[in-house]
This record gives sequence, C-alpha cells and structure tokens, in this order.
Amino acid sequence: MHVLGFDITGYQVAFVILAGMTVGSAAMVVLMPNILRAALFLGLTLFCIAGLYALMNAPFLAAVQVMIYVGAITTMFILAIFLSHRVMKIGFSQAIYNPLLAAGAAGLMFLFLFLTVVNSVWIKNAVAAGPASSGQDVPAVAQALLQPYVFPFELASLVLLAVLIGAVVIAKEDTDGA
Amino acid sequence: MEHSAYGIPVSWFLTVGAMLFCIGLFGMMVRRSAIGMLLSIELMLNAANINLVAFGSYLKMPVIAGQIFAIFVITLAAAEAAVGLAIVINIYRSEQHIDADKMSAMKL
Repeated sequence: MHVLGFDITGYQVAFVILAGMTVGSAAMVVLMPNILRAALFLGLTLFCIAGLYALMNAPFLAAVQVMIYVGAITTMFILAIFLSHRVMKIGFSQAIYNPLLAAGAAGLMFLFLFLTVVNSVWIKNAVAAGPASSGQDVPAVAQALLQPYVFPFELASLVLLAVLIGAVVIAKEDTDGA
Repeated sequence: MEHSAYGIPVSWFLTVGAMLFCIGLFGMMVRRSAIGMLLSIELMLNAANINLVAFGSYLKMPVIAGQIFAIFVITLAAAEAAVGLAIVINIYRSEQHIDADKMSAMKL
C-alpha cells in the first residue's frame, strides 16, 4: 500500500493502532481520579499489549496475557477497590499529587531511554528486521518450560502456593483479637 | 533463522515499552491511593515484558528465553498484586483509608 510515497504494510497500521491505544489508555490509568475507571483502563491497556505480543509472533504469551492479566489480575484489582474505597467521587487534585514535577522527571527518563534505543549500536548489530517466524510458538514454549526451565517453573508454583496462603492470612479478619 | 517481513523494526516496540515504563513511573509518583500505585507497578512490569519478548523474537538467533522470562514475570506480578491488595485491604480495615502519604504506623 502506497501512502504519500511511503510503503505501508498492514502490520504497521495494526502496530500504530495497538501502540496508540496502549499508550493512550495507560495515560488514562495514571490520570483518572476515579480509581475504578483507572483499573478498567488498565484492563484495556493489557488487552492491547496482548495484541502487540501477537505482532511479535508470540501467540502463547498473547493468550496468557489475556487470560491472566485481563481475566484475573484486573478482576482482583476491581474487587479490592470495591472492598477498600468508600468514596468513589474525588477530584483530580485530591487523587493526583504534584503532576508537573513528576511529568518532568518521567519525561527526562523517557528521553534518556529513547535516545538509548535509537542510538544503540548493539541493537543495530544484533537484531533482525522482523520478528522470528519460527521457534516462538506454543510447542517451543512448552519444551523450554519443561526442559531447561523446569526448576524455576516448579519454584514458581511453590511461590504461588506461599502467596495464596500469605494473602489469605493477611486479608483475614481478626476474629478473637489474635 | 527466518524472520517475518512485517516492516516493524524492533525500536518501535522498545519505544512503546519505554513510554509505558515512564507512564508507570509518573503514576507511581503522583498517585495518593495505594491501589493506584499498584496499578502503575503493573504498567511498568508490562513495559519490561514487552522488551523481553521483543528481544527474544527479534535477535538474529532468536531465543525462546524472552517469552519464558515474561511468563515468570507475569506469575510474580500476579503474586505481588495478590499480596499487595491483601495488605491494602488490611490497612483499610484498621485505618479506614488507603492514602499512601498518611500511612505512618511503621514510622519511628
């Protein structure tokens, strides 16, 4: 497809739409005074990031992102907000503390990261023009997870068990003052 | 190794990751409520994940380790969110607010 002398592929159009939605909804996450809306925008951000994973030829991670992040973590945030916020209606100045100074600091950080990405010689030399078209699919992930990474994989299940017990103990209501 | 010709250089993904990280950093600094800070942490972890997957897939010799590390980050992010939200609910029960600036029970 030719637009104004540039060759534009459909993938580039998809990337620009997904990246724009990701960054836009991420900005809404940090700027919304109403924390419930911020959590819903976080769900949209994470969903768009799943689309970016699909563009990087990582289908398993895209599915995992939708199931775990959008399906589970966002739901957990919304439930916690329902349990802990009595007043939903607060103004921007009450929810956001000193935005200009923080925007300056974050902008400086972005400038630094962006210049590093653009000027890095290592990235130019080590990286191909497109994502790998083979070896990134579900069987490859399964083999890597159950052969070289099986010990961290089992350790992760232990961590999840510890977190399950810990979260229940922390959030449990004290019944007899113990 | 073969690579798809999508016309998207890796620097585009890295720039999106950098933007997301800085937005998360901004949210971390400006939010008063502890849940808002946890939301910002999720944004920063996702920025790291985008970088991991992008490098894993775009290297001239692609590695699967990028995706595996991203899966472990997602696991630990879920764990961190669960414990963090449990702590927030516990604090709300004893102090009736979750304003991070006013939490001073552990200050000397």
